[in-house]
Amino acid sequence: MSLATDGNLSMTDVAPARGRLIGQVARHIALFLAVMLVWEFASTYELVDPLILPRPSAIATALVNMVLYQGTVWFHLGVTLWEAVAGFVIGSVIGIGLAVAAGLNESFRRYISPYIIALQVTPRIALAPIVIAWLGFGMMPKIAIGALICFFPPFINTLTGLLNVDEDANEMFRSLGAKKRQIFFSLMLPNAMPIIMAGLKTAISLALIGAIVGEFISASEGMGVLMQRYTFALNMASSFAVLVILTVMGYALFVLMEWADNWLVYWRHDTRMTAISRKKARAWAGIIGRRQA
Amino acid sequence: MNAIASHLVAASTSHIDPDIVISARDLVKAFNSQVVALDRASFDIKRGSFVSLVGPSGCGKSTLLRLVAGLIGKSAGELSVLGHGVSGPSHEVGMMFQRPTLLEWRTAVENVLLPTEVQGTTTDADRKRAIELLQLVGLKDFEFSFPRQLSGGMQQRVALARLLQTGANILLLDEPFGALDEFTRERLNLELLRIVDDVDATVLFVTHNISEAIFLADQVMVMTPRPGRLAKIVDVPFERPREIGLMQTPEFNRLVGEVRSILGGH
Repeated sequence: MSLATDGNLSMTDVAPARGRLIGQVARHIALFLAVMLVWEFASTYELVDPLILPRPSAIATALVNMVLYQGTVWFHLGVTLWEAVAGFVIGSVIGIGLAVAAGLNESFRRYISPYIIALQVTPRIALAPIVIAWLGFGMMPKIAIGALICFFPPFINTLTGLLNVDEDANEMFRSLGAKKRQIFFSLMLPNAMPIIMAGLKTAISLALIGAIVGEFISASEGMGVLMQRYTFALNMASSFAVLVILTVMGYALFVLMEWADNWLVYWRHDTRMTAISRKKARAWAGIIGRRQA
Repeated sequence: MNAIASHLVAASTSHIDPDIVISARDLVKAFNSQVVALDRASFDIKRGSFVSLVGPSGCGKSTLLRLVAGLIGKSAGELSVLGHGVSGPSHEVGMMFQRPTLLEWRTAVENVLLPTEVQGTTTDADRKRAIELLQLVGLKDFEFSFPRQLSGGMQQRVALARLLQTGANILLLDEPFGALDEFTRERLNLELLRIVDDVDATVLFVTHNISEAIFLADQVMVMTPRPGRLAKIVDVPFERPREIGLMQTPEFNRLVGEVRSILGGH
């Protein structure tokens, strides 16, 4: 069960004082600018070949050109985003669904596990050409590849979470005369929620990888296609600009998942837990007939 | 098969004293038909009495509690609760564990309401009762705190309120304050006595602390290990309500010595 991934990389729970925060951000920006400057000069004085490592200013110019003037990048971005998100949703639904079935039924778990392990140890990206041969050249094969690559973390994390229920809590539910369905929805599922979310965080970045790789192999649209076009033309500044856009997109998806985690697993986030506690106190005020602070 | 068996037990016990709420005859629990966790225990527990089960690890006290709760099935003998053979968990019987087993995604009051939810729909009367119970266990103003915001002792208080919310008249407590520090445990024990007096319940209290067992109970069931056996039932004659000073009296210490000698012989 140690296969479960802990996707918690964020430092959002740590909230330093405002002044210290500004100081930290300033230091980060200063360091970033220094690195960029060194890089810029190294390129300008040809200490590195600009064809290998284009100047930051060239990348920035390409980026501005791409985003503001040409505008076609938005279409490609939309394609890749759609493929990644659709792959993520499909892979996660399948992964969580299989894990729930396996978690509730021991014999199903036994029968399915060799196949799951086989699929996990196979480098699934190697399936990409086969999937494209099956599904053609549109978005479908990229979605399928994304789903295939990303389904494992939600699966194994959900299964781990469901099986990792406190035995005393389980007995407590049984002593109350709870039915299996009640134990599942009121105990097992919420108990597994934090680790399921960690699996989903890993899955979304895997789905993005799947979409891009699918586009590399065969496609006419998407960020992967754009990237290949620019590198084949040795337009390295634009290639790096595409990379920057992909980084921003990956980060946006990551932030989205962090937000979802904050929302769904509120009891692990102090600020939101306190807010919900207050909200519930207000909702109950009518019943208990006294005001809550 | 099971239905017939429980029928027979019901018939055979229904003519007995209606004041007996739990009755066992030669009750046996064996795991894997090899390990005998509880060997031929026989006892009767009166309505409204407080009974402690004391003994070292492996003496079968938790097994006995789980049998009464209907969480595990017996291997042989007879066991009836309120005149009916035990065939599974019942609403008449509530259980509390050494760990609070609170749901960390629910506020204190929502945790207390869990038994009501499991049984069906929750009304405003149930909600009012849950709030009252939290006040009874000394958690006024903490109704909307989450378990992670509460101390260990407070969490166990929530668990006690949840137990009372079941409305069960038979309360099974498995070392409920065993994981808490000495001071908190003593205070919670005193409050427990006050509360069970209030709700007029029959209590089975598992502990491995001899003084605690005697201080709380009307009767102490002394159990010995390998195989788990009910060695003796000791009556505790002290008046109620009890004060903590009772533990310094010579009569109290004589009883402690008696229980210790029963346990020491094994």
